[in-house]
Amino acid sequence: MYVPHSDVDLKKIFKELSIKSLNELFSHIPKELILNDGLDLPDSISELEAIEYFEDISNKNKANLICFAGGGHYDVFLPHTVKTLTMRPEFMTSYTPYQAEISQGVLQALFEFQSLVCDLTEMELANASLYDGATSIAEAISVAINKTKRDNVVISEGLHPNNKKVIDTLIDKNKFKLDYIELENYIFPESYTFTDKDAAFVVSYPHFEGTAQDLTALVSSAKEKGVVTICYVDPTLLGILKTPGNMGFDIVVAEGQSIGTPLSFGGPTVGWFATKKEYARLVPGRIIGESRDSNNNKTYVMTLRAREQDIRREKASSNICTNQTLNAIGSAIHLSWLGPEGIYTMGYQAMQKANYMKNLLTKSNIQVLNKETSIREFLINVDKNVDEVIDHLGNNGYLAGIKYSDNQLLIAVTEKRTKKEIDKYVELLNEVVNV
Amino acid sequence: MYSGGNASSLPLVGGSSEPTIKDLSKPGRRAFNYPKLDVPEEKIEHNCIKVEKAPLPEVSEHDLVMHFSRLAHRNFAVDLGFYPLGSCTMKYNPRFADWVASLSGFSNLHPATPGKYSQGSLEILYKLEEYLKNITGMDNASFQPPAGASGELTGLLIIKEYLNNNNMSNKKNIIVPDSAHGTNPASAKMAGFDVVEVATDINGLVDVDELKKLVDENTAGLMLTNPNTGGLFEEDILEISKIIHDVDGLLYYDGANLNAIVGVSRPGDMGFDIVHSNLHKTFATPHGGGGPGSGPVAVKEFLREYLPGPIVIKDNDNYEWYQPKYSIGRMHGYHGNFLVALRALAYMMLLGKEGLDSLGSYAVLNARYLASKVSSTIPLAYEKPCMHEFVATVKELKKTNKIKAYDVGKALLDRGFHSPTIYFPLIVEEALMFEPTETQTVDTLDDLAETLSIIINELINSTESFENYPKNLPVGRPNELIPAKHLTVNWGDFELLEITE
Repeated sequence: MYVPHSDVDLKKIFKELSIKSLNELFSHIPKELILNDGLDLPDSISELEAIEYFEDISNKNKANLICFAGGGHYDVFLPHTVKTLTMRPEFMTSYTPYQAEISQGVLQALFEFQSLVCDLTEMELANASLYDGATSIAEAISVAINKTKRDNVVISEGLHPNNKKVIDTLIDKNKFKLDYIELENYIFPESYTFTDKDAAFVVSYPHFEGTAQDLTALVSSAKEKGVVTICYVDPTLLGILKTPGNMGFDIVVAEGQSIGTPLSFGGPTVGWFATKKEYARLVPGRIIGESRDSNNNKTYVMTLRAREQDIRREKASSNICTNQTLNAIGSAIHLSWLGPEGIYTMGYQAMQKANYMKNLLTKSNIQVLNKETSIREFLINVDKNVDEVIDHLGNNGYLAGIKYSDNQLLIAVTEKRTKKEIDKYVELLNEVVNV
Repeated sequence: MYSGGNASSLPLVGGSSEPTIKDLSKPGRRAFNYPKLDVPEEKIEHNCIKVEKAPLPEVSEHDLVMHFSRLAHRNFAVDLGFYPLGSCTMKYNPRFADWVASLSGFSNLHPATPGKYSQGSLEILYKLEEYLKNITGMDNASFQPPAGASGELTGLLIIKEYLNNNNMSNKKNIIVPDSAHGTNPASAKMAGFDVVEVATDINGLVDVDELKKLVDENTAGLMLTNPNTGGLFEEDILEISKIIHDVDGLLYYDGANLNAIVGVSRPGDMGFDIVHSNLHKTFATPHGGGGPGSGPVAVKEFLREYLPGPIVIKDNDNYEWYQPKYSIGRMHGYHGNFLVALRALAYMMLLGKEGLDSLGSYAVLNARYLASKVSSTIPLAYEKPCMHEFVATVKELKKTNKIKAYDVGKALLDRGFHSPTIYFPLIVEEALMFEPTETQTVDTLDDLAETLSIIINELINSTESFENYPKNLPVGRPNELIPAKHLTVNWGDFELLEITE
């Protein structure tokens, strides 16, 4: 299938190669390695049959649960304009823009992505994407280690547990110490003392638990010791919250799913990476720059290529090659669709609706652990086992949130949730908690 | 010649540059649209809330659509013409797979959805694992690695953890051929190994005698693509495998070139212990302008418990997440690039046994045919028969006529073809690496070969500078030094540079 050759074509090709069968192509391969009977796989099915097959399997997922789960991946409204533009075949079916003259579309879209990310986070230089938020944190830590040549990494415990696992996997624990610092009442201790052995300070904004903390003073005390400061940010809140750049961070990374990509069971999404120009030569992944061609026309090209694996090999700043370009283009289109008012509305409505929900829960005597400090995501205490809560809400059409501990649940509210959904959620929660 | 394989409509809109979305911004314009707030609004006090609005562009929806559509116009793609970019397997991407990935049951699923509510997605991963195991000859797989390079790192971390657990932590060397993809040594370094390079012999294959000299008790493993980056099958693979296994090293298969051998031969049978597959290459998922890809890693049974977790297992009719006992950890925030994996499964099921059995054969057939045609214009780098791709070289033309691989590539762009991969593998001077894939017609292959011959003639007889090529595209050759030197990587940077200089 998808092999276009007719019998006439094959005859022509076989004649050119002086062969009579496809098998002759492999006469130089050791006989014991040749698959004589082919693969042990099912027969092909037609597209028509496959439609039914995949619809059936997709229906085995309960993707229509009303989503109160977050933790970096948010059920925000993704307009069709963004989806259809991102799926333009020229973006979809091209590859890395090695040939600038015929890749200006992808190059300019990525340049705009980089610039939009910089404007939104108040940074100077963004790359053209990494795999996801979790791997972006690990890449940022590597930059900090390379920059400072130090071996201690100060990491806030207030990160998604999976993000911590990715860091633990990708940063060599035999060489570097990963120093996880507990939050106190969902706040990174303001009195924390950094030392000149610390390579990096890694903190989430808001914290995984949903509390947003002004990190300006901590960043400033870390920088006094020469520590590279890394902020993992929820980009959908940057229309209403003070930016990481404003707080003085050196590197900003983000899980970019909520800007331009559907939930997708977690992938493909996109990792954002932005920093200051002084770090340019340590940055992982591709960077697009603006230049001019021989006729002085504006031209975009991949730049600072000497950092990359195809040129520097084992001395490269990262091994990344294929990245998440299409999702980065999705981010650029979504940010352009949002504009200053749209991204404000997205964050403001999420915050207002979360606030409404927190009040409603409190009235029902359900304890919200970080009511005052959280923005759109917060922790609640339930007297029941959280699994029971998730089951009860799941059976009634709701994804309750993310299990934080046996009796604590992390709830996220986006601009997409309605008053009716929130009311019903709290009602269902009351049913299970107050039995 | 009307082959239908070159993007004859390029450039659809030449001439003036496309402004940036910021250039198009006018205060007060908007594309977004949200429902009114339906909960009682309260004044919320929080010291992180800012007053000023984010400085994003303000455009209408039509402006937005026109801008990004015009950008799309300025881009070559598999859907427009022949893309013989060696090592990248730019085959046709079936539309059907896009439809499957857009089903809301898959695309709207939150990654933290418990297993009982995500049985469909778990079944997809389980099923795809079955196909991959069969095609590669391995026993278990993890889908977390989001790309090939991440798959490589995964494999190397597995090797490291396995060696540590078996009291062989002295093994620090990973052997990599000098022809390998740059990701191989970069990944080995990231995993904390030392890279030892083995040379390629004059036939384009791993120099087995040199390999024997390099292998010792400190050898942790070997990374290899087969066929290698020269497009040649490593005929001594069984001996190579024995050499590495004899010192208790492991064999890693870089799946970049898997398309050549699907249905023909299996890495597992060649002695490889770990294999990554590039689903975006071999299994036809769209490359997305540079990604997303998907680089699942499959291993032999004895390495299963080292896979990044969790992985999917089946218990009666129920699919569950299972955490491998000695797992290296996590390579991705969640389950890898799931929608890419889903597309790959759709492709495999449409092809079925018949299509997959002959996949590698047709990929090799097309490459062999194109190599035969191209070799009358440009000599091939190696005499041995190629697999799914081949390397030609213009080193003689460079000596005689100052024609570089770069110039040939640029001239091809003018004719509506994508350039082959140039200057790779690094061990071949003035290399041009062609990978036609099985989805090109013989007419298109003829067209490319003929066009190459026309171009070479034109360049030989040209009195003007090759710098003028390409001539028919929206832009000419870019000045690559300006952005590298002045870091013009953000809008406004270039204008600022012009003012200051």
